[in-house]
Amino acid sequence: MKNKLQKEGTVGWIVLFVLLILIILPLGAVLLQVVDPGLIGEKNEEGSMNLLLEVFRKPLWSKALTNSLLLGICTTLLGTCFGAFLAAIRVKWDFRTGRLLDIAAWILMIMPSFIIAQGWVYFASGNGIARAWLGWDGIGSLIFSFPGLVFIMVLNKFPFAYVTIKAALEWKPQRLSLAARMNGASAFEEWRTVQAPLCIPAYCSAAILIFMDTIGDFGLPSAISGVYRFPTLPYAIYTAIYSSPIRFDMAGVLSFYLVLLIIAAMGLQYVIKGRKRFDFMDTGTVQAIPERPKKGLGAVLNIAGAFLAFLTLCVPIGSTVVMSFSDSISVANFGFTLDNYKSVLLQGGDLMEGMGHSLTIALMAAVLGLLLGFFVSFVLNYSDFIFKKLIDVLSLVALAVPGVVLGIGYIFVWNQKWLEELGLKMYGTPRLIMLASVAAAIPVITRVITGGMAKIPRQMLFAAGLSGAGFFARIRSILLPLLKGVLLSAFLSGFGGSVFNLAINTILYPPNYQTLPVYISKGVENLEFGYSAAATVAGGGAVVLLILLIEMLGRSFGVKKS
Amino acid sequence: MRKKLAGIFVTGMVFAAVSTGCGQSGAETATTAGSTQAESKAEAETTEAKTEETAETTAEAAVEQTEPLVVYLNDFDAIIPDLFKEATGYDVEVVVGNGAETMARIETEGDNPQWDVVWLDSMPSINSMGERGMLMEDLEPENAKYLTDYYQEIVPENKSYYPTGAHAAGVIAYRNDKYTEETAPRTWEDFTKPEYQDQIGMADPSVAAPAYPFVSYFFEDMGMEGAQEYFGTLFDQGLKIYPKNPQVVQALASGEITIAALQESNAYGMINSGEPISIVWPEEGAPASVRVAAISAKTDQPEVAKAFVNFLLDPETQQAIIDSGDEGYFEPSAEGAEPKADRAKDAKLVYADAAWASENEGEIKEWFADASAR
Repeated sequence: MKNKLQKEGTVGWIVLFVLLILIILPLGAVLLQVVDPGLIGEKNEEGSMNLLLEVFRKPLWSKALTNSLLLGICTTLLGTCFGAFLAAIRVKWDFRTGRLLDIAAWILMIMPSFIIAQGWVYFASGNGIARAWLGWDGIGSLIFSFPGLVFIMVLNKFPFAYVTIKAALEWKPQRLSLAARMNGASAFEEWRTVQAPLCIPAYCSAAILIFMDTIGDFGLPSAISGVYRFPTLPYAIYTAIYSSPIRFDMAGVLSFYLVLLIIAAMGLQYVIKGRKRFDFMDTGTVQAIPERPKKGLGAVLNIAGAFLAFLTLCVPIGSTVVMSFSDSISVANFGFTLDNYKSVLLQGGDLMEGMGHSLTIALMAAVLGLLLGFFVSFVLNYSDFIFKKLIDVLSLVALAVPGVVLGIGYIFVWNQKWLEELGLKMYGTPRLIMLASVAAAIPVITRVITGGMAKIPRQMLFAAGLSGAGFFARIRSILLPLLKGVLLSAFLSGFGGSVFNLAINTILYPPNYQTLPVYISKGVENLEFGYSAAATVAGGGAVVLLILLIEMLGRSFGVKKS
Repeated sequence: MRKKLAGIFVTGMVFAAVSTGCGQSGAETATTAGSTQAESKAEAETTEAKTEETAETTAEAAVEQTEPLVVYLNDFDAIIPDLFKEATGYDVEVVVGNGAETMARIETEGDNPQWDVVWLDSMPSINSMGERGMLMEDLEPENAKYLTDYYQEIVPENKSYYPTGAHAAGVIAYRNDKYTEETAPRTWEDFTKPEYQDQIGMADPSVAAPAYPFVSYFFEDMGMEGAQEYFGTLFDQGLKIYPKNPQVVQALASGEITIAALQESNAYGMINSGEPISIVWPEEGAPASVRVAAISAKTDQPEVAKAFVNFLLDPETQQAIIDSGDEGYFEPSAEGAEPKADRAKDAKLVYADAAWASENEGEIKEWFADASAR
């Protein structure tokens, strides 16, 4: 019996070892610069302590830190509230456009932020659709300001909260809810005193995901920088890495601050959660079944759902679709053309080749990420592993640290002659992009699964263990059936995120090896906005359809089985 | 036992990660006098082989190639491999990225470079690589004889890289629906005039490859203090800095700014796309970004790499890439190749000395980044 339960500890060590290879080594190679700035790259005359304090002296760095914190906090607060509100409504009411909201949230989660931001630029900039076609003059200055940036960020990041919290709300502590209502609590009071407190882990997961993804986001602030300059920490890291001679030490220091922010955010989460228990799944737990709203309310919900889906998705993606048919770089000079699609689809198989590569890498990364993410969540939820909190932090780090830092760390670690001699050549092969994609996908996969697992009490597994069920039997017979939907969501988010991971693909792709995100961003670099938009629509559209298809198949298969 | 193996592996990886960096500064120079002679001979054979073939048929390779030549570049990736294969019979694989990304990749690979040839418009950075012994020296490509006097001067003493052309890292691009020829700025000095307050934008020298050659010219020409004063005035008057040139284009197209120091392909690209943009080539010259080709000191295919550099210096090759599309707005380095017909005939290019620019690169970029954030 003891042996059977000890396996949880072993899983902890294995998970830690894998995270060590995937995250600690590459990130450590970059962070080492803080301790010894001359270790890799250029020597720096200033001491490491001096460099650490530079963040308060250098105008760009201190501005970047302030901007990142401000943007992160505002987006987290508003995004979590907005996502939580939508999730609560979606779980409570059955309305027609609810499905549309789900789809919009999924697409937003997997679409890279630079594409969404580019869409907003096509829409709201001075030569964009809003002004040129709709005559809305002031919209540019409204959108491209700090509140506007927070608005776009919230619309871009709220799906993290929506998906995580919705997954947590799908099971209801019916017995507790009924008890509350029988004691005279109103529907709102019942939600406030029963459901909401039990969902604190999900709220925390959602808030941390939004915070990390916002402060680590280079794509969105960079894409709108043509209309609104807002330097953030990732931007400052880019300037350090793209300096010549390259300043690995500076990139290391700034990444160190990002890691500090993660630790601070996690610390806050531990304080909020305290030592309370949040699992509520027992015999009184039922699956939440949305009610059909009354006519008036139903109409309001349908309109609101359609409007939100339109605002969050159709405005940016629709603007990209418009650009894909434009023969000019400005919508103001729009002339309809199919040439962009002709070049993308007919001339050469570059897009198809790039998409094939990206899909294969993403599929492998999602499978491996799901496997690892499952056991990371398992350790976090059900074990007393001594380095549990370290695993918690490590599983989030890759979200906040820009892909380019992780990519550079991967080159440091894997570009070794002795590895090549051992037949372990990884750098310069798609395998390394896959490994890095697993590292990058782990935060979201883990948070989605952890949110689901938090509801399943540890005692359930313990009881099964006592009854003689082995480690894998407990996973197979208890966790997998209860987490089917959550695992599918986690897999799809890992898959979608990996397809579009621009930074990692850019820094690690092998010679003559086309990938979808590099292909799309090259179009923007070459000023072929229409061509790049057509590639985004064709490539991104195909990937999104594929994901929706997998999701639909998965869900219907799951429903039948249960 | 398993734990032990895991421990050994982890220790090994950490050690390796650290040792990559330690050895980086000690890159070796691979060329010796003896091999240079042999290589020149092979090179001559390559060129001979090339001229004997017609354009329609693929030439026979002079040296047996065991693996494709790996070239890191930032433009012309779509046509160069085929052109080179056609001319010499050799296979090329390319890694395309913007200048900064490519330099970051090269620097990170350190002592174990995965590239054979680098061909970028980042001359100061490549010059610095040459000074650190990362490049093959004493290159004598036969086609160097076609270099114009202007470009002969650019070849460094150690002959570690050759220029294949140059484009203006910044011309004055302005919206002609806001300014006339008379009211638009004509010189770089005009940028400081109060009437252009909050109207001017340019790319960030820390992020965009051509923006550093642009900025460094002013720092060399005006002296450090003079340039700091010049750009300081511009910042005081609301100079806007965008990460890269495509974002400057967006800002200019959207009316966010009405004047820009814009890289020339981007400026001509805007005009070709029907934007209300006019270009001024200042009489004192437009700071140039020189595209140079260099060979890794650690390449295991020196003959093929040299054939590639030689191929890039061929006037026919340069003409082919000029004719290839919007990326082709540049001044060729070889006599006999002609710039695009719609490119200004009186385009005057000026540039900062590569050694000076590379020596002061860190300081200038840092000053610029901080000044732009104030």
